[in-house]
Amino acid sequence: MDQPRPLAVLLALDEEACIAHTVREVKVALPDADVLVVDDGSSDDTAREALTAGAMVARHPINLGVSAAEATGLSYAHREGYSAVVRMDGDGQHDPVFASALLSAVRDGADLAVGTRFAELRSFESTALRRAGNAFLSSVVSALCGQKVTDPTSGFRAFSARGAAFFAGVHPHDYPEPESLLMAHRQGFRIREVPVRMRARTTGKSSLTPGRSAYYMVKTSLALTLELLRAR
Amino acid sequence: MAPPRKETERMSRSSWIILAAAVLFAVEIVTSARANRTHEKHILGWLGVCGAIAALAIWRPGIDVLANAMGVYYPPSALFFLCCAALLVMVYRLSLGLAQEREKVRKLAQEIALLSVSRPDRD
Repeated sequence: MDQPRPLAVLLALDEEACIAHTVREVKVALPDADVLVVDDGSSDDTAREALTAGAMVARHPINLGVSAAEATGLSYAHREGYSAVVRMDGDGQHDPVFASALLSAVRDGADLAVGTRFAELRSFESTALRRAGNAFLSSVVSALCGQKVTDPTSGFRAFSARGAAFFAGVHPHDYPEPESLLMAHRQGFRIREVPVRMRARTTGKSSLTPGRSAYYMVKTSLALTLELLRAR
Repeated sequence: MAPPRKETERMSRSSWIILAAAVLFAVEIVTSARANRTHEKHILGWLGVCGAIAALAIWRPGIDVLANAMGVYYPPSALFFLCCAALLVMVYRLSLGLAQEREKVRKLAQEIALLSVSRPDRD
């Protein structure tokens, strides 16, 4: 069945302390959208909190990672025929106020709209190591895609129905953001960057330690190279 | 009275030990197969390994023949190389199999999540 309304997909892992607040914020910012929380195998009450706050909940029976959680949300949107999808983190780092700007970019013809922290609006300062990593990936992805991509690691993004259908079926492993930009480019999808503000997380802590960040850079560089070698 | 056989014509003690180990390993493989703890394609491979070990234990000059064929001067080095190569292939095949199984588990878990989506107005 085709849904004229968009779907907001929130990815969550052990976010019981903040998921209800995030769901309510999204519902205020996007009153016309359905909200789906993909609970990636949480060991706490994330799913119940999200449900109580009025979201639909898809629960992974085991932890599968960010990429698989995003793919589950996109698969749901594709199967239910949603017109567009905005994907956000469940920890509240992605300010829902900007979700409508991302969806507007999709309505204006983009297949993938990426929220960028590095244009116009000032977001919280991430660590110097992460900023350096982002700058490196930005230059690589921009060169490979033939267009300026300032924030390739941003997970605050929106997909058109076509984009959701594609990424529901073929999805990068592990951390998907930079690789999916290259995949989108190779599919001929229109990619747009939209200025957004991101906030510091209020609860929990990031899974990316300095060691993992360095590993992430190497692994992502390899994934981008391999993507170039694959058939479209 | 028959003359005693030369040492080179008889199987040495180490050959008997290696042969016994190969037989025991083969028995363990067949036992696992009977209990459905392993798959036929793996059973064939491992029984092949047992057969090769047993054959070289019984026919030690086979190691020299292999070394000559490979152009390796020191026969144990040829055997060591072949063992390493075989292990490398096995580990690589296992890593491929593991990645395939991981992908299947991922798809299965996602399908479970999609089939059991909870909705606030229904639950």
